[in-house]
Amino acid sequence: MRRLIILVLMLGGMQLILPLGARGYGGQWLLIFGFLIVAAEAVGGLSASIRLPKIVGYLLAGLLFGPSFLNTVDAESITQLAPVSSLAIALIAFLAGAELRWSELKERGVLILKILTVEMTLTFVAVAGFLVAVREYVPFLQDTTFPVALVLSMMFASVAVVHSPAVTMALLTETKARGPVARSTLGVVLVSDVAVILLFSGALALARSVAPPASASAGGTSLGLLVWEIFGALVVGAALGGVVAVYLRWVRRELFLFAVLIAFFGAELARVVHVETLLMLLTAGFVSENLSEEERGHALRIAMERSAAPVFVVFFALAGASMEVTQILVLWPLLIPLILIRLLALWLGTNLGARWGGASPEERRYVWLGLVSQAGVAIGLATIVADLYPERGADIRTLFLATLAVNQTVGPIMFRYALSRSGELNEDANAESDEILSGLAGDTGEMPVATVAESSTPLPPQPA
Amino acid sequence: MTQGLILVLIVVGAYLAAHGVFDWLARKLVIVSGAEYLILGVLLGPSATGLIDATFLQDIAPASALALGWMGAINGSRLVLLRLVRIPALVYRVAFAESLITLFIVGGLQYFLLSWLFGLSPDRAFAPAVALGAFATLSGHAGIELAARRSRGQGLLVTTLRATTGANAAVAICTFGILLAFGHPPSTALSRPITPTEWTVITIVIGVAGGALYHLFLGEENSVDRMFISLGGVLILVSGAATYLRLSPVMAGMFFGMTLINTSRKRNEITAALSRVERPLYFVLLIFAGASWRLSAQSVWLLPVLLFVVARAVGKFGGARLAARLNDVLPTLGPDWGVALLGQGGLIIALSVNYLYQDTLALPNLVFTTAIISVLLTDLLSGRFAASVIPPATTTMTHPMPHRAL
Repeated sequence: MRRLIILVLMLGGMQLILPLGARGYGGQWLLIFGFLIVAAEAVGGLSASIRLPKIVGYLLAGLLFGPSFLNTVDAESITQLAPVSSLAIALIAFLAGAELRWSELKERGVLILKILTVEMTLTFVAVAGFLVAVREYVPFLQDTTFPVALVLSMMFASVAVVHSPAVTMALLTETKARGPVARSTLGVVLVSDVAVILLFSGALALARSVAPPASASAGGTSLGLLVWEIFGALVVGAALGGVVAVYLRWVRRELFLFAVLIAFFGAELARVVHVETLLMLLTAGFVSENLSEEERGHALRIAMERSAAPVFVVFFALAGASMEVTQILVLWPLLIPLILIRLLALWLGTNLGARWGGASPEERRYVWLGLVSQAGVAIGLATIVADLYPERGADIRTLFLATLAVNQTVGPIMFRYALSRSGELNEDANAESDEILSGLAGDTGEMPVATVAESSTPLPPQPA
Repeated sequence: MTQGLILVLIVVGAYLAAHGVFDWLARKLVIVSGAEYLILGVLLGPSATGLIDATFLQDIAPASALALGWMGAINGSRLVLLRLVRIPALVYRVAFAESLITLFIVGGLQYFLLSWLFGLSPDRAFAPAVALGAFATLSGHAGIELAARRSRGQGLLVTTLRATTGANAAVAICTFGILLAFGHPPSTALSRPITPTEWTVITIVIGVAGGALYHLFLGEENSVDRMFISLGGVLILVSGAATYLRLSPVMAGMFFGMTLINTSRKRNEITAALSRVERPLYFVLLIFAGASWRLSAQSVWLLPVLLFVVARAVGKFGGARLAARLNDVLPTLGPDWGVALLGQGGLIIALSVNYLYQDTLALPNLVFTTAIISVLLTDLLSGRFAASVIPPATTTMTHPMPHRAL
């Protein structure tokens, strides 16, 4: 009830303020940003009260206040707030990389690769096969020959197999889940980002040879760039991770500021040297975490999680605001079977892969539920297709974004259910986090988190 | 390389170098850190190297607007009524008398000088004169705290100095906020124009409503994460609303901080959450301010700047002495206690950036230049100024509290 009152008051306040003001000096940007944080957090609280993940609330808040419904956050504001999304992706990627310890990778790496191989292959084949089978009803496959339909379906399927590191990380941050289901899901999601790019490169090369785009040179450049995007990201990310480790070793000051700067710097650097942002920062997080002493890496992670908290809220709210409901409504006859087939393939593939890898019964049963969400790199890949094949590519992108919107909303609910069923959901997560922080902050609780690393108090190790 | 990338590299490098050097200086020589970032901003900006251009400044304007609101909130959060009522009334009389004397001396002199020098009409000269008067009132507390820590002083002098810096900030913020309400361009959205009084009330309401919204939003929540998100979210909203309405985010932020700190049971947590990003935002603001600086187009710009520095020194020194004499505490505080108030502190940068945003007010570059020069002249030595006044611990502690204070 309280949260509903907040939403009504805020909407009323915005209606009063918006006609009186003027653009300039970022006032409107800031106003919308603040409104989104508070409104999305309120809706997130509402969804938490009915045992749904907060992320779903953030997405729904974005959808409600976005251009599709109330239009408090209009299309221009979404564009203006785009840098927040870049920053969020960078923070998510770095945090995700920092979650991985080398020892754990050695222990769990084979299992992750086996799960990934089977689920990705099955999903790819199932989605591509379905599209070819119903190609008469698929907008971008109508009036094409079978080979062209096949390669275009493969290209769509290579994007559709993607998962969402953002949702996975946000939910793990929210629930503080650290059990085998959580760890395996995170591992599969992170490695799949690299695998998807490789798969997409192959599908794109095949598509170019069977159905050459109007501008062949454009395709060549894109493919070359894709290869560089992957390997360049690993090299540049490792270098950046090394720099962060050096900073943590010798400086260790102003971690809050440093965390934001690293994310901003990483995102900007990736853009300049044309490497994949997510993969680069993921590598940087992994390298810095594994080169640093555990308590130093932990202090940086805390600082980063704290600085990321409001950014995450806005990131998911913006994702919700960007959803185009009309597209989903138009495409639903195709969308529903497509989503169901992907789900079926995910369930079967993960189950088989987990059995092959000798995973625990919980992992066999529940990991697939954490792989439903989609986002991140896929949007970029869909855009490459749209640029390469302007006519059909636009339809591919539209169908993909509609699929993504549904999976993005349903996925967190399923993942939370999986964590709950496997007994990894930590209901006291926030209290524990606060205990750690109050322990770090001393009795008065007045020491800012930025100075945590400067404290000589040993930090508690990350729960396994 | 993009501008953003260069900027991050420069800021990080310069930050580390400056921080190391100035930390050492603060420890060894009682020099307060802060002005170095302002110099860095000037060096990076269009007036020097041009590494930061006008477009980039426009891009980071929201962050600096947020910094203004945040600084206001931090100042507001110092106004805890339960602690304030324990301070003797005498201290407030001295503090507010000093503030108002300085405000009127500097504001009045600037009004006449600016009218005469630039041929401004009384209406046009009013805004820069009052703004400069408000700026002159401000005193930095960092130097006083540094000197007080070194001498472990807790007597009437230190109490009065602390109360005076608080009163200075409150007077300056409110004066400036009301000035913006008076200088507000007419709004065409309503059937009748909104009066300055109504704009002032709107500024206060934004802050108070923000504080109320925070409580409504958070309820009895104990999570530090949620507290930080709520605090950040509402403060961004408050700063954004004030900036969007062309009002003072510093004043709205101050009322937000005051409402919050006086209605919450978690004062320590709120203070910790506010302090957490104070330094990063302050650095952004300083660099933004330095980069925004342009040499005033008027060739005689040096004259008002000189007048400001001299009149402020007279106001602080003479005003403090007069205030103490009027309240019969001159023997206790000492004749030169106003010297400790000469350091300007960071709030002047926030208010001057806020003035720069108001493109309808006269002489924005001149007002801004004056503020920057005053900070550069006084901030480095503010610890020294305070140390020259605050005696060693034993002397301070033995000063008797005058009867009127009791």
